[in-house]
Amino acid sequence: MNPVVQTRDLSKRFGRVQALAGLDLSVAEGEVHGFVGPNGAGKSTTIRILLGLMRAGGGSATVLGGDPWADASALHRRIGYVPGDVSLWPNLSGGEAIDLLARLRGARTSDPAYQARRRQLLERFQLDPTRKGRTYSTGNRQKVALVAAFSVPAELLILDEPTSGLDPLMDAVFRTEVAAAVAAGTTVLLSSHILSEVERLCDRVSIIRAGRIIETGTLAELRHLTHTEVAFADADVTPAELAGLSGRLPGAQDLVAGDGRVSFTIDGAALPDLLPALAELRVQGLTVSPPTLESLFLRHYGADGEGQSDTPGASPDQLRHER
Amino acid sequence: MTSAAGTARAAITPPPATAVPTLWPMLRLRWRRDRVQVPVWLLSLGLIALLSGIAVPASFGTVADREALVQIAVGTPSILMLRGEPRGPAADALLFFSLFANLAAAVAFMSTFLAVRHSRAEEEAGRSELIGATVASRVVPLVATVLFGTVAALGAGAVVAAALVVAGLDPTGSLLTGAALAGTGVVFLGVGLVAAQLMCTSRGANGLAAAVIGVAYVLRAVGDAGGTPAADGLSLASAWPSWLSPIGWGQRTRAFTENNPAPLLLALGCAALLVAVAVLLQSRRDTGSSVFAERAGRPAAGALLRGSWGLAWRLQRSSILGWAITGLLFGLLAGSLGETVVDLMEGNPVFQNVLVGLAGGPGAIIDLFTATLFSLVGVIAAAAGIQAVLRARQEEAAGVAEAMLSTGLGRIRWLFDYLTVGVVAIALVLVAAVAGAAVGLLPTDAAADRIESVVQAGAAQVPAALLLLAVAAVLVAVLPRLCIGLSWGLLLAAVVIGQFGDLLDLPDWVQDLSPFSHTPVVAAAEVDWSGAWWMSALAVLLAAAAALGIRRRDLAG
Ligand SMILES: Nc1ncnc2c1ncn2[C@@H]1O[C@H](COP(=O)(O)OP(=O)(O)OP(=O)(O)O)[C@@H](O)[C@H]1O
Ligand SMILES: [Mg+2]
Repeated sequence: MNPVVQTRDLSKRFGRVQALAGLDLSVAEGEVHGFVGPNGAGKSTTIRILLGLMRAGGGSATVLGGDPWADASALHRRIGYVPGDVSLWPNLSGGEAIDLLARLRGARTSDPAYQARRRQLLERFQLDPTRKGRTYSTGNRQKVALVAAFSVPAELLILDEPTSGLDPLMDAVFRTEVAAAVAAGTTVLLSSHILSEVERLCDRVSIIRAGRIIETGTLAELRHLTHTEVAFADADVTPAELAGLSGRLPGAQDLVAGDGRVSFTIDGAALPDLLPALAELRVQGLTVSPPTLESLFLRHYGADGEGQSDTPGASPDQLRHER
Repeated sequence: MTSAAGTARAAITPPPATAVPTLWPMLRLRWRRDRVQVPVWLLSLGLIALLSGIAVPASFGTVADREALVQIAVGTPSILMLRGEPRGPAADALLFFSLFANLAAAVAFMSTFLAVRHSRAEEEAGRSELIGATVASRVVPLVATVLFGTVAALGAGAVVAAALVVAGLDPTGSLLTGAALAGTGVVFLGVGLVAAQLMCTSRGANGLAAAVIGVAYVLRAVGDAGGTPAADGLSLASAWPSWLSPIGWGQRTRAFTENNPAPLLLALGCAALLVAVAVLLQSRRDTGSSVFAERAGRPAAGALLRGSWGLAWRLQRSSILGWAITGLLFGLLAGSLGETVVDLMEGNPVFQNVLVGLAGGPGAIIDLFTATLFSLVGVIAAAAGIQAVLRARQEEAAGVAEAMLSTGLGRIRWLFDYLTVGVVAIALVLVAAVAGAAVGLLPTDAAADRIESVVQAGAAQVPAALLLLAVAAVLVAVLPRLCIGLSWGLLLAAVVIGQFGDLLDLPDWVQDLSPFSHTPVVAAAEVDWSGAWWMSALAVLLAAAAALGIRRRDLAG
């Protein structure tokens, strides 16, 4: 089955800034695909290229089987989009903006089905469609774009940080609507910085850094890749013993000592070897925890060099020792 | 439809095979947004045409009156520059001569503002991204703007033609006048659209387009001032520079006399070319990008950027520089043409007798000429000042003023910082113009006298500009939502009344409403400075009123 979105070696440069540097993204049909990465990593740039708003500098992109630049207008009938930073026409009401965008995607606004859908969405998002664009708050502007996107059925929804201004209640409505769209067969590409949202909504996640996808997979797969976090009190452990420990366990990473605790991460498979070593040291206050989503992403976001996807057996000089 | 990938699931209704009508909604969006603005433009243009269509035949009833007037005009380059190409003493020809170039400039501004408002400004605000992600995509919005702008230009032409017919003028000539205005309108629609492709901000695009309008007006003005008079001194054929100007093309139709529509083909060709360039650029570039890209900024704030005045200056220094360069060019033109004018008139026996009563020697003629051109410099200075103080409102609407005002900065101080930047802008424009004129005048006899007179002419423009600046400040303080349109509208009204009050035969009290009517005329033997003093005093009072007003109201988005 063809992926709904497929890019190969996609690149884009703005003057001296290399925004995308060989991006390979693949979004399968029917999934909710999370698109996460640090600020300025190239998420919005990728999305703009997928929408034909920008032309790729190099590489190729396919959306719903078409070329996003050349076939933009034909593809856009089948795509709904919510930008991260919604700007509305100051003297048009929200209702007018919603209808305009729906018409421009081929909906007949006199169609009772559309009207019913629109009414339902306005109610759920608690949006007053009679206010003028300039009088909406940030979150309400975003709701206008969300209602416009959800009111016309789409094969692909591209959402660029769609909930950054929503309150938790509206966030829940948003998740319900995404779930309903997916149940109807829509594929969703969701860029977000809200990790709990990504965790709850996404089937698969791609992590982008510096214009490249550095990891793709289900959350379970990503978790598996990432190491278990081990920490204990450093009261009775000498630096020499600590150095010995890292010598015995080449899989241990990010060794940090401070605040009375020593912590490091280690591949789940190496745990059976670790426990006897720790027992020998008679460590106190031992905790062993699976990685939180935060720590998972932070590892990838961090700027310490290339090769972010941790290869087991990193050299010992990668271990940090801080006091 | 291309690329119907077989991936759609049955649950999603496949899009119907008919094409989505996107052009019509885009056109309606433009009309919906401009439903006040464009009609106001059209009605104002129609009103000016109607009033002058009635006034000119009424005030210059006899052929003898009109012949005398035309002879003076033919012999006075400063009149020609501000009016056009005289074509005989008929009342309707006289009207076309006095009105067309200025109406055409107004239509040009209507078109470039419209073009930029619906293209670059939308992109800058990020709304074109919402539209670009729909079926309308990248090019349809531009096509809609072209159609809408063309309809607006045709509307302007139709309204003016109708007004002239109602005023009782020859229908053929009236229609051709309208067509010529529409032709100018579509050319400048193209200019605005190309400027919007080139520049990355709507300010930059509007500035570039305004500069092109200015060049077109001046080329035509130079062509008319340097034209060849007929032997009877009752008509003139403009020189070649006016063929370089879209406004000149419209004027070349010579409506009411020769009624020759052929030059409008030039306008149509030029408009088509410009639109094609805009469409080509638009279809190739990224949404949000521009041909002249944004340069990287400096990494840290410079020494001047240390408060709200520094910010107001930093935000506007490039546009103020642009205004000042315009002033300099006008000054150079005024200064260097003065001598030529005297030579021209002295060499032409037709003018000798006309001019005897008009001026007391070549020096006085040059003074009159520069004073006339300096009345335009005064308008430029006022515009520069108004733009500077209106920036305060734009900062407020964009939400960035909030950040400034939530620091220790007081509101009065904030508004006054923009106001004083406006004063600086006025001063710079006038100083540049005076300097330009002085350079141009250096080779003349008794240059010191001439330069002294130009310095006075420059100083004479200050009070009216300050007054209009202060009015704009009051509007910012009291009517934030309307202040931008109102301020520019007031400037336009002041110019129309000040420059055309006599022509339109407006009652004295109406003419007195325009600050420009009270600007001292330096060419007169006894300069009356009283208007300057009370206008300055009024400006100070209004600035105080603005201070009161800004303290009392909410910040408005
Ligand atoms: N129009 C543009 N001109 C110049 N540089 C740009 C432009 N758009 C994006 N960039 C640069 O490209 C890089 C990627 O930006 P992009 O907006 O795609 O990031 P992002 O991943 O969406 O970040 P965020 O999470 O902050 O939204 C950044 O360095 C940005 O400064
Ligand atoms: Mg982004």
